[in-house]
This record gives sequence, structure tokens and C-alpha cells, in this order.
Amino acid sequence: MNHAKRATEFNKDEAKVNWHDKALWYVREKRDKSAHNVHGWEYLRELGSALKANVLSNLDTYLVQFEENAKKNGVHVHWAADAKEHNEIVLSIMNKHKAKKVVKSKSMLTEECHLNPHLEKHGIEVIDTDLGERIVQLAEEPPSHIVLPAIHKTKEDVDVLFQEHLGTIPSQGNPEYLVGEARKHLRNKFLNADVAITGVNFAVANTGGFVVCTNEGNADMGVHLAKVHIACMGIEKIIPREEHLGVFLRLLARSATGQPITTYSSHFNKPEEDKEMHIVIVDNGRTEQLSREDFRASLHCIRCGACMNTCPIYRRSGGHSYDYTIPGPIGSILSPGKDLKKHSSLPFASTLCGSCSNVCPVKINIHEQLYKWRQVIVKEEPQPVIKKTIMKTAGKVLANPKLFEVAGKSARFALKHAPRFMVYNKLNAWGNARDLPEVKGDSFEEWYKKRNKNNE
Amino acid sequence: MSRATILGLVKMNKPESLPLPVIDENAFKEEIDLKETFKSNVTLVGGQIKEIEPNSIDSEIQSLYPNKTKIVSITNKSTLGTVQISPNTDPHTLQDIDLAIVEGDLGVSENGAIWVTGEASILRALPFITNDLVILLDKTKICLHMLDAYKLIAKRDRTFGVFISGPSKTADIEQCLVVGAHGAMSLTVLLI
Repeated sequence: MNHAKRATEFNKDEAKVNWHDKALWYVREKRDKSAHNVHGWEYLRELGSALKANVLSNLDTYLVQFEENAKKNGVHVHWAADAKEHNEIVLSIMNKHKAKKVVKSKSMLTEECHLNPHLEKHGIEVIDTDLGERIVQLAEEPPSHIVLPAIHKTKEDVDVLFQEHLGTIPSQGNPEYLVGEARKHLRNKFLNADVAITGVNFAVANTGGFVVCTNEGNADMGVHLAKVHIACMGIEKIIPREEHLGVFLRLLARSATGQPITTYSSHFNKPEEDKEMHIVIVDNGRTEQLSREDFRASLHCIRCGACMNTCPIYRRSGGHSYDYTIPGPIGSILSPGKDLKKHSSLPFASTLCGSCSNVCPVKINIHEQLYKWRQVIVKEEPQPVIKKTIMKTAGKVLANPKLFEVAGKSARFALKHAPRFMVYNKLNAWGNARDLPEVKGDSFEEWYKKRNKNNE
Repeated sequence: MSRATILGLVKMNKPESLPLPVIDENAFKEEIDLKETFKSNVTLVGGQIKEIEPNSIDSEIQSLYPNKTKIVSITNKSTLGTVQISPNTDPHTLQDIDLAIVEGDLGVSENGAIWVTGEASILRALPFITNDLVILLDKTKICLHMLDAYKLIAKRDRTFGVFISGPSKTADIEQCLVVGAHGAMSLTVLLI
């Protein structure tokens, strides 16, 4: 199934789509307000971008430096070439400690590696502790947004889910009540966990430390109670020096939710006494993306989700329509690099309006990369006959002024006089669920000529 | 083994070296009242903040949190502590702590965040697991933005530290903001 078909599914519930669209746009507006409060915001974005570009061009040096410093701090460092190796490393640490219960805070990397099913297969209980992630875990669904994992669920959905799994009483979706119940339920999990797994927002080369950001405090609740902390990171999470956190932490939360900073920005350098800290550094396709000149800037991403909140397609098609761990515009430039065939419809799920690039805190040229992926995809992947024919014909018509004039005239005539079924059918996607504009008599050229004549 | 593979691939695939940008901090200079901006940002992120005299710390906390019995105080500025902890205390035993009182090292004006070190809370779990949290902060220790903050905390023993901005919160149910997720249900900052 391609993106358009899955988006059609999502659009069956019109009221929900409208809510989804507005809720995300509201987050985008909060981002604007918050960003405009920062003196020098655009310069801050430029710095973010230049820092990430510097990181990618010296990534091997920074990774080695990070490893060296982390080891000095008593942290165990592991390297995983792919998802399989990542999952095996995490499992082996679990087994070493005879751990049976894990609490996990948000980590898109472990989603990407499908860590949960791997651990569960080996008899380990894995609890996602971010509330949104817990909701989708109970619903047996993947997150639909990287910052707001359960944005596709209504409060009534959550109410029903909690009744079934947490034994709550019906509350018609009272958020305070539901959050309170989740707090109790998860507190119990935190208190009984053997191991805590977290992601990494930023790993600092010159100190060997790393930063994890949450609003709920779930990462810290897990880590500071469990005996073992495993932090999983993609190779691109490195930043050169600690002071650069001063750039990225100013950008991250404002771009994500419009908050000036997340509630907790936790800086981990050394494990607490009698505890263990592990870092798993993962490639899983990132070095390959690094080799693609046109697409390597996608590795700048700091996972704020701003491109999703602003995207007119994402807002109206929902995260699940992308069928990839990272949905939305950024996911649509990351995913073809992983599996071109499977994700070939994603770069087309865009109007190329450029709003994603405009809000990106590290200035990734997302819409340009979407366009570039399209060019790769039409060459390498078979395209639907209708689309191919239309494109070819359109190419000929647009290249020939005489033909263009004739085509324009016939189209205007047809839209005015042709019976409805000839205009609104499967061949015309633009007529799907919308009425085409009323046709005026003239083409622009004809109108312009007349206007000049009248003015003479 | 994968270490060598990954580093080899990075070396092969990375672009030509690009310079590390020099940060021009003049771009972020602002003439603002640090303390007042800090106060309004603490409120914005859901915390409450009061500027008080050193001798009224205990009475202020008692009036704000009147019915707390299990209190951990990691500061000699308050005598309200009823539960003693040490680095050897099992953090799980903190699960029913009503109130924790800790000292912050530094406030950040632009976002209302306060730097709290692992040492300042003895057990790292404390500021998270406690039901309510009070942070004491010297009112002269407020800086403009995060870039300044990192300069001011640069010379520390790097173990664990956290910027705390407000009480724990979530908007994961239909974007409704609910204060009190997994961490502290409320945060009070006392400027002294």
C-alpha cells in the first residue's frame, strides 16, 4: 500500500482529521511564538546547521573522542553496525544482569531497530514509559509522531484503552484522571525495573557525556532507580563540545512544542556508585546516507518534529500513513535511503511548499531533498502508466506554445460544457473530493492582450 | 569489530572537512532584567517563584506546603527535613517522599531552568521521585541564556546534572496539558 492509499484510510474520519490538522498547526504556532522571542533566532539556526555539518565532516574523529572520554568516566561503550547487532548487544547486557524487567524512555532508534519485540521474544518485559508511547504500546501500534506519539488518538480512545489494560473507571476521557492513573501504573514499573533504556539527544565528544530531554521525567525515573542504564544512540547524535549544547537546547524544545526548554535536560557523565552505564553507538544505514551528497544533510536532524507539525500533508494524512519509524517530511527523505522500493511513494507525499525547510532548526533543505528523491525514484522505480503518460504528454504540451494554447482552450471548454462524469473521474485526482474552480472565458494570455488593447 | 567497520565507513563516506563555527555571542546580547525575565519564565513553564529573605525560608515552605510529613532537605538553609538520606540510601525508599528541598546552582533567564547537580540532591532520583520539589536559588546567580549557562558550569566535576524547568508535565492525551506526569507534581523556586 502506498502513502496515498493509507492517507485515504486516515481521511475516512473527517472530524478526526480536522482535529489532527488543527492540533498540529497549533503546535506550529506555538513554535513561531517561542522562536520569535529569541533574539538572534535565525543566527542560532545557522549555527545549528554549521555545527552539524562540521560534525558529519569529522564524524570519525568525534566518535573516537567521545568513546575515549566516556570510557574514562567508567561508561561501557558498544558499537552496532545494524539493528540486529544493536538488539543483541542490549539483550546480552540484560542477560549478564539476569534482568527481566526494562523501562524505556523515548528512543526513536530503538523503534527503528524493533528492540521491543526482540527483548519480549526472550522473555523480558519492556515498558515504554513516555505516556504517549505507553498509550501506543498498549494499543499495539507504532508512534505516529516522534514528539507526540499518540497524537492520532482521542482522549476517549485512551479512556477505553486504560479501562482494558489498567483497570480504570470510565471517565469520558478526563485527561487529569487518565494521567494520574498512568502515573500510578508506571511508578510501579519504575520501582521494579532491573534496567532502564533511554535514547540520547546529544552526545558530547569533548566530555564523553550525553544529554536526554523529557518533559515527564520518565527517563530519570527509570535511570536513577534501576541498576543498569543503557543509552542507545545513532552515530549522528554527536556534537563537538559541551558549550554547543547551548545552541541545540535553545533550538530543540522551541521547535518541538514551543516550550523554551524541556522540563528536564539531564546530563549523564558518570554512573552512580555501584551502578552501570552503557552506550550503544549504532550505524544501521547512517554511514550509507552519509555517502549520498544530496541527502547527507538529513543526518543533521535533531528529531524535534517541527517539519511534521507544519506539513500540510502530514497534518491531513497522519503519521501512520508513512509506514516508517520517522514519519513526515524528514522521514520521507530518510526512508528512501533505507529501502527505496518500499518507501518510494513518500517523497511524493509533499506539496514541495518548503515550509518544512523553513522551520527546521538545523536548516535541512528538506523540500529540495524530497524533489531530488523523486528524480531518483522515477528513474529506478516503475511508475504507474497513467502518471507516466500524463507526464509525457504534459511535457510535450508545455514545451510547445501552439499545442499549449489548443490544450488550454479545450480544457476550459471541457470544464465548462463536458458532463460531470468526464471531468470528475479516476483520471483526475484534482477533482477527487473537491470541485474545480469556475472557468472564466479567457486564458491569461488572451486576457492580458485584451487589457492592453483597452488601455491604449 | 563493528567499531572498525563503522569508523572505516564514516572515513570513506564523510564529506571534506568543514570548519567548526565560531559563535558570535553579540548576536544574542539583550538588555533585559535577568531576574524579572527568569521569574516570568518559571511561571510560564508551570512553576511558582517567590523572592524571600533568608530567615523566612522555613516559614515560606511551611505555608506553601502545610501538610507534608516526609521531607528531605539537602540544604543547611532549611531545618524542615524529617528524613535523612546518604549516598548509600536505596533510592527506591524515596518513593513516598512528600517534599524535597534542594539548592540550585544557577538559573537561566531565557527559559526558567535551574541547574541542579547530582551532588546537590545526594541521590540523583530525589528531585524526580519526590511528590513536590522546592529549589532554593541565590538571586544573583541568574544568567541570560544557555550559552552563558554552559560557561558557568564548565568547571565542575562531571557526574550528573539536570536543568529543571517547571514541574513534570505531559500533553500526550489530546494535547491537553496536565502538570504532574512521572516527576514532581509541583515546583517552587525560592529566590534568596
